Amino acid sequence: MDNLVTPGSWVVLRLPSDQTKVLQIAKTNTISLGKIGTFASNRLLFRPYNLTYELLDRKGGDKDSDLRIVPASELHEDILVEEAAALLPENAGPSEIVAGDGVEFQLLGENGEVIMRSNRETIDDSARQTLTMEEIETLKKEGTSAGKDLIAKLMLSHTGLEEKTSFSLAKYKLLKTKKYLKRFTVLPLDVAMLTQRMVEQKDASKVLEIREEMLSLIGSWSNIHFSADPIPKARSGRWLVVDETGGLLVAAMAERMGILHQGYTPPEPKRSPQEEAGEELKDLKIFKELDDDINHTTDIQLATSNTLTMVHTNAQPNLSLLSYFNYHPNSPTDRSSREHPLAQRLHTLSWLQLVSPSQDTTYANPPSPLTSEELQSMKSGKRGTYYRKQRRYRKIKQIVDTTHAGGFDGLAVAASMDPISILRHLVPLLRGGASIAVYSSTIESLVKLADLYSTSRRTAFIQSPPAELQGLSSEETARWQGNEDFPLNPTLLLNVSVQSARVNEWQVLPGRTHPLMTARGGAEGYLLTGVRVFPAEGKVEARGKFLKRKGGREYSCWTTDSGAEGQEREVAYEME
Amino acid sequence: MTTMTSPFLFPDTVAQADKLAIVHLRRDLQIPTILKEHDEDDEGYAEGKVVNTRFGSFPHKTLIGKSWGSQILASKVDTGSRGRRDQKSAKKQKKDNAEGPGNKRQQYEESTSETPRKKLRAEDGTPVEVAIDDTSVAKEESDAVAAQSGFVHLLAPTPENWTSSLPHRTQVVYTPDYSYVLHRLKVRPGAQIIEVGAGSGSFTHASARAVFHGYPGSEEVNGSATKRRKLGKVWSYEFHEQRHEKLQKEIEEHGLDGIVEITHRDVCENGFLVNGESPEAEAIFLDLPAPWLALPHLVRSKAAPFVSPLNPSATVHLCTFSPCIEQVQKTMSVMRQLGWVDIEMVAIAHKRFEIRRERIGIDNGSQRGLQSTPASVDEALQRLLEVEGNFKVFHENGTKVPKQKDNTNPNNRAKIIENLVEKKVYKEGKLVHRTEPEVKNHTSYLTFAILPQEWTAEDEARVCAELPIVARKGDCEVAMSSRAMRKAAAKAVREKAEAAKSRRAVAQPVISNDDTKGSKTQQRT
Ligand SMILES: C[S@@+](CC[C@H](N)C(=O)[O-])C[C@H]1O[C@@H](n2cnc3c(N)ncnc32)[C@H](O)[C@@H]1O
Repeated sequence: MDNLVTPGSWVVLRLPSDQTKVLQIAKTNTISLGKIGTFASNRLLFRPYNLTYELLDRKGGDKDSDLRIVPASELHEDILVEEAAALLPENAGPSEIVAGDGVEFQLLGENGEVIMRSNRETIDDSARQTLTMEEIETLKKEGTSAGKDLIAKLMLSHTGLEEKTSFSLAKYKLLKTKKYLKRFTVLPLDVAMLTQRMVEQKDASKVLEIREEMLSLIGSWSNIHFSADPIPKARSGRWLVVDETGGLLVAAMAERMGILHQGYTPPEPKRSPQEEAGEELKDLKIFKELDDDINHTTDIQLATSNTLTMVHTNAQPNLSLLSYFNYHPNSPTDRSSREHPLAQRLHTLSWLQLVSPSQDTTYANPPSPLTSEELQSMKSGKRGTYYRKQRRYRKIKQIVDTTHAGGFDGLAVAASMDPISILRHLVPLLRGGASIAVYSSTIESLVKLADLYSTSRRTAFIQSPPAELQGLSSEETARWQGNEDFPLNPTLLLNVSVQSARVNEWQVLPGRTHPLMTARGGAEGYLLTGVRVFPAEGKVEARGKFLKRKGGREYSCWTTDSGAEGQEREVAYEME
Repeated sequence: MTTMTSPFLFPDTVAQADKLAIVHLRRDLQIPTILKEHDEDDEGYAEGKVVNTRFGSFPHKTLIGKSWGSQILASKVDTGSRGRRDQKSAKKQKKDNAEGPGNKRQQYEESTSETPRKKLRAEDGTPVEVAIDDTSVAKEESDAVAAQSGFVHLLAPTPENWTSSLPHRTQVVYTPDYSYVLHRLKVRPGAQIIEVGAGSGSFTHASARAVFHGYPGSEEVNGSATKRRKLGKVWSYEFHEQRHEKLQKEIEEHGLDGIVEITHRDVCENGFLVNGESPEAEAIFLDLPAPWLALPHLVRSKAAPFVSPLNPSATVHLCTFSPCIEQVQKTMSVMRQLGWVDIEMVAIAHKRFEIRRERIGIDNGSQRGLQSTPASVDEALQRLLEVEGNFKVFHENGTKVPKQKDNTNPNNRAKIIENLVEKKVYKEGKLVHRTEPEVKNHTSYLTFAILPQEWTAEDEARVCAELPIVARKGDCEVAMSSRAMRKAAAKAVREKAEAAKSRRAVAQPVISNDDTKGSKTQQRT
């Protein structure tokens, strides 16, 4: 991810109201913040992220505002002053407040003149009059004067500043400051930001109401990390993903694997006239076609490690949120998408292609190869189509075949689809010890899923395996499609458990620290985790009796009366 | 040895000698162990190195080369001793070995009869720390013979199972906290993160996974010297000597020494430079009692000879982890004074759920896991009527109705298996969930803050010169050729379509560089 704001990247502008505005920034362009004003995009480009700017009053004749970087000391000035004040004796009035660290606390008048600085100067009498609601409204509408001016007026209007307690003063100021200041902060658009925005400001149901803390837990529990194997051609660091969040989960995983953010490549500096001419030629139709032909014959080399394999529901994957990272998987000729790290490392296939590839048109019908003479005689458009078909076939064949070969390192799921049906097909594709993490916005489906791996069900399965499994190899048993009593093979996952996490935000201010009064409701969000295991061949003999826990709770361990060596010992039947 | 890759990062498909493996007994009972081909310490079992658990003994031989995730059956082991032994008894052991195996077995029988039994009684079903001893005998190691009971699963290490099984030397940061922290600190492959204090290394391992972007020496992408990968690193500090030493050893054993650098240091006193070198960190995690004392070292430019430990050309993200609110207040106050912004404090509530079937009713008699209260009013009535009937019989002819009682223990193994297999009790009852009996109610408060890159007047002037700001005056728009305008409009439409329903706000039609170039081209041709 770039450290500076670069052309073509998506950025987030956070307004004082905590509302955000997302835009793709381009050179020499105008950015509008609605009522607050407009400014030139070049004012932000190639500057660092996380700076807070203030729109200055427009100069005569200008359409746009100029910007000023607001230093941190100014952002915190209320609290800094308040903290300094708190160090003073009990009944010292604000007139004695002196801010430390060279911070100046000042209230500005209508024309930007200082009414009060560090609370030492007298308050201008004209500012003392009480404002009516209408006056406030007109002041807001005019929007000409800086917000600070308005705050100064509002603050001074009720009573003299010196009569207010620091408590009400700070509260008052905080509220008003948020409402009226013409400030905004420039933030990078990454997965954290996108998640927040989708959940808080957009349609949360589109991303299954997945909150950041849950997204980060999925990442940990599916053990996703960068894993390009040092040994070339080795297959490692491959993860399976089922994503019904429009690409948010894929983006989160890709970010952890280091394949989401592309980084800005500046245009070639100072090109020779010949090169310029070359550029022009590229625009000519004939060269364009030539270029297309080349595009269609050179396959994108699919990576074999540090990859994500996504199984999707529709013919095309829904990964629309990846466009914020300048990746458009459904327009394969898009140049920036071809060069994106995801082009090699994100492999997508449909459930049909996974479960029954022979019924999939693309997979089942390889285009018949043509001789070079035949190709020569073709119109270029047709030739292009031929190449595209060939390329598409080769790609899906490779993806389907490597997926069927299995050996994946982990599985992450965020879907509204029944997780039991997902696991039935995907668990057999995991290597031993692979981690799985299944997210659901509500707990019910995960409770049902966990129940299929309960200790008692597994014990029953081991003690008396279904008849149809007789004589099957362990490989075949792993791929068994289940029956009524055992919808999934309960011996393939260990440690199945369900958890949830929630972040609670606090307000921390001098003397006024407490959790925020309100928070988002809606789906809590749950995560089921487990580990893929291989049961030992043959019947694992477990002897002993169940211990009974208080409250009739089922206990999951056996104890033995007589161990092989005359030793009392517990035999694990794992957790409930 | 071949290149030492970490089993945390490249687990391979099978467990390998000299690498860490996790022996899994049950969810909250996992034993980390470095697998050894031979018993180099020469002090115990005939089968070589052995992991002893209360679920059986597992010679390393039976683990090495097995697929991760394999269920491993316990072995009968042959040794003269069990439990922790001091040097003296270890020596005695060697002598015993020389005297012959018969002696050994006898000794084994004696020593096992005591401790394990005691342990079991004390425990009452709740997991207890297990004494682990990797003891064994070298010389002639014999093959392992499978025991009749007991098994474990063999797992590759992950930061998650390491966190729940590591030897605790301090309080540790658990998965829900470290996951969120690393996410908020934007710790991604290639990042440089500062971490104090390293403590037991829980956060260290999770950070190592997050920053990993290849081992030193693998910076070149596809052999191209121009496209280099930035390798990530965890800069870890610990002032407690033993903890520092232990963690250093673990990091080496785990194959993470190129990724984690641990410095023995009091950071509040001596800052963060390592051999005079700046970590150039963009992420910082402070888990120490007085983070505000460390903060003054974590600033950008100051008068020489001060060298900032921060990456000068990146936003720095910071998190402090403190259990008490007073610590948070003090920290925040110092953060504000030092120019940190977006200061925010959160706490994470985490819960695990117990999922089980609740079976209520009288009809099955006393059965394991069954609450013997009526399942419904109807069942209650039936029971009451039964009692009434018995009363009547007693009053009328003075005979007690004999209680039909099944005296066999309902909880013997045969009965349980029968219930499971024949009656399919795993499908009976109501499927319910609830919070696990013990909840970590408060771990610590997480205070986050951001320090933007420094941006001087000179920087501003430089960028302004490179990319001038074209002022729009009055009503006139920025000049645009008709083709550029058409292109821009088409692009806007396309973009709208792509963004589908998630409407996004593009302030103005986007005019990209290429478009302007395109229009120039056209004018010239
Ligand atoms: C709570 S533990 C950290 C646990 C660790 N985060 C983990 O996940 O395992 C705090 C550690 O900080 C160390 N520590 C405290 N103050 C320190 C200082 N000024 N410099 C270096 N280490 C310090 C202590 O020795 C202790 O080991």
